[in-house]
Amino acid sequence: MSVWRAGGLAVLAAAGAAAPYVFPSYVIGLLTLVLIAAVFAASINLLAAGGLFSAGHAGISAAAGYGLAYATAHGQAWPQALVLALLVAGVVAGVYALTSMRTATIYFLMVTLALGMVVFGLAYRLNALTGGENGLRDVDRPAAVAEYWQFYYLCLVVLALALAALWVIGRSPFGLALRGIRDSESRMRSLGYNVAGFKFQAVVLSGLLAGVSGVLATYQAEFISPASASFGRSALGLVMVILGGAGTLLGPLAGAAVVALAQNELSVHMDRWQTALGLLFIAVVLFVPQGLTGLAGRGTALLRQARRTRRT
Amino acid sequence: MRVESVLVQVLNGLSFGALLFLLASGFTLIFGLLRIVNLSHGALYLSGGYVALVTVTATGNYPLAVLAAGLVVGTLGLVVERALLRPVRGRELPEVLLTIGVAFVLADLCLALFGGEPKRVAPPALLSGSIEVAGLAYPRFRVFVVALAVVIGLGLALVHSRTRLGAIIRAGVDDRETAAVLGIDVDRVFAAMFVAGSVLAGLAGAIGASLLTILPGADTEILLSALVVVIIGGLGSIRGAAVGSVLVGLVDAFSKAWIPDLSYFTVFAPMALVLVFRPTGLFGRVE
Repeated sequence: MSVWRAGGLAVLAAAGAAAPYVFPSYVIGLLTLVLIAAVFAASINLLAAGGLFSAGHAGISAAAGYGLAYATAHGQAWPQALVLALLVAGVVAGVYALTSMRTATIYFLMVTLALGMVVFGLAYRLNALTGGENGLRDVDRPAAVAEYWQFYYLCLVVLALALAALWVIGRSPFGLALRGIRDSESRMRSLGYNVAGFKFQAVVLSGLLAGVSGVLATYQAEFISPASASFGRSALGLVMVILGGAGTLLGPLAGAAVVALAQNELSVHMDRWQTALGLLFIAVVLFVPQGLTGLAGRGTALLRQARRTRRT
Repeated sequence: MRVESVLVQVLNGLSFGALLFLLASGFTLIFGLLRIVNLSHGALYLSGGYVALVTVTATGNYPLAVLAAGLVVGTLGLVVERALLRPVRGRELPEVLLTIGVAFVLADLCLALFGGEPKRVAPPALLSGSIEVAGLAYPRFRVFVVALAVVIGLGLALVHSRTRLGAIIRAGVDDRETAAVLGIDVDRVFAAMFVAGSVLAGLAGAIGASLLTILPGADTEILLSALVVVIIGGLGSIRGAAVGSVLVGLVDAFSKAWIPDLSYFTVFAPMALVLVFRPTGLFGRVE
């Protein structure tokens, strides 16, 4: 990591830590949404680094949310609720992993999409567990993060930890193998790598992180409903990843910031924000295919080149 | 368990399967040639349903409504293919993502225009009422849907295997570059195929608006079934779409009747089984 990048990260972290002292609660609430969305996008991005694009990750994060809400509704304290939430996320992610580990590219996308829709359908139909269309209410936050700014710091710390973990994983043999699978699955296989096994681990790992984002999202809203498992939610996560730059470390945060803020602004000012979102999606794919970080990278490369030509 | 109720479920399954086939065949044809997973297929279906609704309300003419659904949605498909998909041709992921964007926009515009209430297109007098099937009174329209799907399926299979157009399409599926070198305008064939698939989705929407109801969310629900159909049958295979449709239709009918709480799960089970043992589907080509 270059000095510049480390410095940039430090500034970003300091700005994040200082925000509650500067901004009113409304803005902090919005930033909390961005942080949670970034954790969710980071979980999708972990797979995207391996060339696997999940279109059903909202199903996993919602499963965690339901686990949390169910345990809380049945009088469990937050540690038990958290364990149940991550357990549910792990099991659902395991099902995702088992069914998708032998697929690649668009097949992977379709299978995860179908699985996400199944979770959505189950959330709707399993009334006794999920409360059906009404969802589960009153998921009170633990006392230590009950205040909005306390919860903001929790989300900030979780995101920082998640990004640090992803940075380490990206440079580990596991992360390198994943990138190898993205570039050439057949070559990895002939080198003796158990490709399906790597994919299984990657999906479960990514699913657990999605589960963490589901826990945060449910605590933020103090409520969960089938909408949180919807295809739209999964697709939004994908937009964040693509917009930010698939496979990059800070891409998910950049993408989440743009999408979450745009969604918030648009849904306040117009009824047809879904249309606007769809158009945003199309525009991103057509005009910013490498994502914002890719764009920034190209910008700095151009600058560097310009400086070099001036010197010579 | 009475024999009649089993028979009714079989017929329900076959008629829903027939609707699925109309949708899945277009989906799988587009994939087979263009390698595009068209996730706006459900939204195209929904649009077709609403076009049929508008036409029937305005003219009272059912065949015209079905025709209009096919035409309007086909035109929509043409615009999507020319304006959006052609610039990213051959890059799988951007193509899929674009169709997701299109699905968002179409579904939201349908919601804006027609609201959230379920709507239904009444079938014409000729096709309403019931008919005797093996000593059992059964809705005539459902039998019609099965017949229609069989006719369209046979037609597609014949065109695919016996005509010059079919040969061109098969050549395009097997090897685009060589087909292009041999003087086939692959670009035009691609566009035509995307339009044909969209027309099928539009027709399916018009039929589905009578067989089921049409409402926001119906697009993703039917897309899930179509996805499962083609994952089971194998992407790109019409035969696979037919087998998968019947299978998913039957599983859906019986699970809705017997274990309604888990009906989503039971549709998913055969898909998971197929994926574990044959990741490319029953009739998919191994690449």
